[in-house]
Amino acid sequence: MFSLKIWGDRGSMPTPGPETVLFGGNTSCLELRADGRLVIIDAGSGIRQLGDSLMRTDLKNGPISADIFISHTHWDHIMGFPMFTPIYVPGTKLNIRGPITYEDETLENVIGSQLSYRYWPVRQEELAAAIEYEQIKESTYDLGGGLFLTTKYLNHPILCLGYRFEYRGRSIVTIYDHEPFRNIFPTDPSDPSYDAEAAKEGDLAAAEENDKILRFMEGADLVVHDAQYTAKEYLASKVGWGHSSYETAINACHRARAKRLLLFHHDPNRGDVELQELELFYQSRVGGKTGLVVEMAREGTTYVVEG
Amino acid sequence: MAKDNIERIQTYVGSMASLPVTVSKVLEVCNNPKTSPIDLDRVIALDPVLMGRVLKLINSAYYGLGTQVTSLVRAIIMLGVNTVKNLALSTAVIDRFSSRKGFSAINMDGFWRHSLCVGVTSKLIAQRRGADPKTLEEYFAAGLLHDIGKIPMNDALGEDYMLAVSTADRDRIPLHLAERKVLGVDHAIAGAAVAKAWRLTGAINDAIVFHHALPAYEDENWEVLLTVAVANYFAGREGIGFSGNLYPEKLPPDIFDRLSIQKGLLEDLEGPVNAEIEKAKVFLRQAK
Repeated sequence: MFSLKIWGDRGSMPTPGPETVLFGGNTSCLELRADGRLVIIDAGSGIRQLGDSLMRTDLKNGPISADIFISHTHWDHIMGFPMFTPIYVPGTKLNIRGPITYEDETLENVIGSQLSYRYWPVRQEELAAAIEYEQIKESTYDLGGGLFLTTKYLNHPILCLGYRFEYRGRSIVTIYDHEPFRNIFPTDPSDPSYDAEAAKEGDLAAAEENDKILRFMEGADLVVHDAQYTAKEYLASKVGWGHSSYETAINACHRARAKRLLLFHHDPNRGDVELQELELFYQSRVGGKTGLVVEMAREGTTYVVEG
Repeated sequence: MAKDNIERIQTYVGSMASLPVTVSKVLEVCNNPKTSPIDLDRVIALDPVLMGRVLKLINSAYYGLGTQVTSLVRAIIMLGVNTVKNLALSTAVIDRFSSRKGFSAINMDGFWRHSLCVGVTSKLIAQRRGADPKTLEEYFAAGLLHDIGKIPMNDALGEDYMLAVSTADRDRIPLHLAERKVLGVDHAIAGAAVAKAWRLTGAINDAIVFHHALPAYEDENWEVLLTVAVANYFAGREGIGFSGNLYPEKLPPDIFDRLSIQKGLLEDLEGPVNAEIEKAKVFLRQAK
């Protein structure tokens, strides 16, 4: 079986309460299963419940062993780590991998320093689990057991990786946190800092990088894509924040001939009613025009890609 | 022996990588949080050596990018202004401050911190004196580079330079006097060779060559020179960084009057100076 379960799909900050019951209020955490293999993507607040679930279901079959891939080290993607119960259980083995930004410290320090007395009552050194950290880049990895991973740098204020997992000819891709690459050089000749060459190269570079993203998710069975804003919100005040609009995510997945799109990284200010309305709106807009299935990511839902 | 030492320094300086248009320009652009992509592109592109190094780092295993990036514009779009900014900063400054062998007589980290402290302090003093904003970066660069002569001294003269540093310590004399005593040449002379090779002129050159010869200086850049001297004194007094000079000479008594500042001004600088140095820590790490 090749499947993905959503344990957290909220952007920026957990949003508990009656407004977020349907789509969930936990920040990013995905559980990927490739038969016996467990892969976790991101350690946002959703990882707490995933940990409890593993304790109930997996531990009885032997010690928990998992690969954790961190998309990037912004807080909403790592904040749940100290509450991931398996780290306190002897025998647990974790391989934590992710990108770190040039000026930052090691991945171990960035994630593990949350477990220091000033933030948390248990120190990293006291954890019972065997944890290995590895900084990864844009590359292809054979994870063993027929599971392959390709990584791609996305466009976000810090280094951020998109992940493409392939198993038995099927693929699950994550594209968050991500904003389409754009030319950040002035393109208006009347702009005092306009430079024709930079403007042209900037246009070309942005277009080529966006093409690479399309190729990265080409034909994917399931794409989990950043969709924090509507196009209107994005253009009004969110350009450069490192997130995509629903429109961008839908168009990109359609062009890449992906099969199913989960709109992900819900804005913390959006409640269930609004998300449901938006889901219906975009589904009606694309209905009949594309083979792509579009839906909002829902916490607690499992998507089986191959049975 | 002095002649021999000078020759060794000159041979070394001849083999040093050239300095880009100005290190201070890169610093100025990079330290400004409002730096636009085009500013960054322009300042890096001004210097082919710097640009080559930035692109080399971007294409290095560090990022493991699948494709070769050959333009800075592309690098900025792919990796963002912040990442490229930090790459440029560390490349522009640290490469030139870190010797190929690593400081043996003087700790590299301490030397760099001292230099940075004198740079930011000079600039802050100039600001308080109401200097023309256009000249502030010159104050910074002059302070940053004033001790640059110590790099060839250390690298070219090796153990002999260690002897000079330990002599200053043992005899409780200023380092430049110990250098002259032991080696027959001091870091002002070595600095002059660097300034000539890097085509540093004006106030920056004068700060390098004359910062231990204040009374003899009668040229137009006296304000920058005296400011750097005060900043140098401040760095020593506060123990911010260390460049081998445990027993610095006394400042000329009239220096504060000539600059029309109160000595008490220095007391207010401690906070701002530390804040500026803190900002630069990020690329200090990359030097190691």
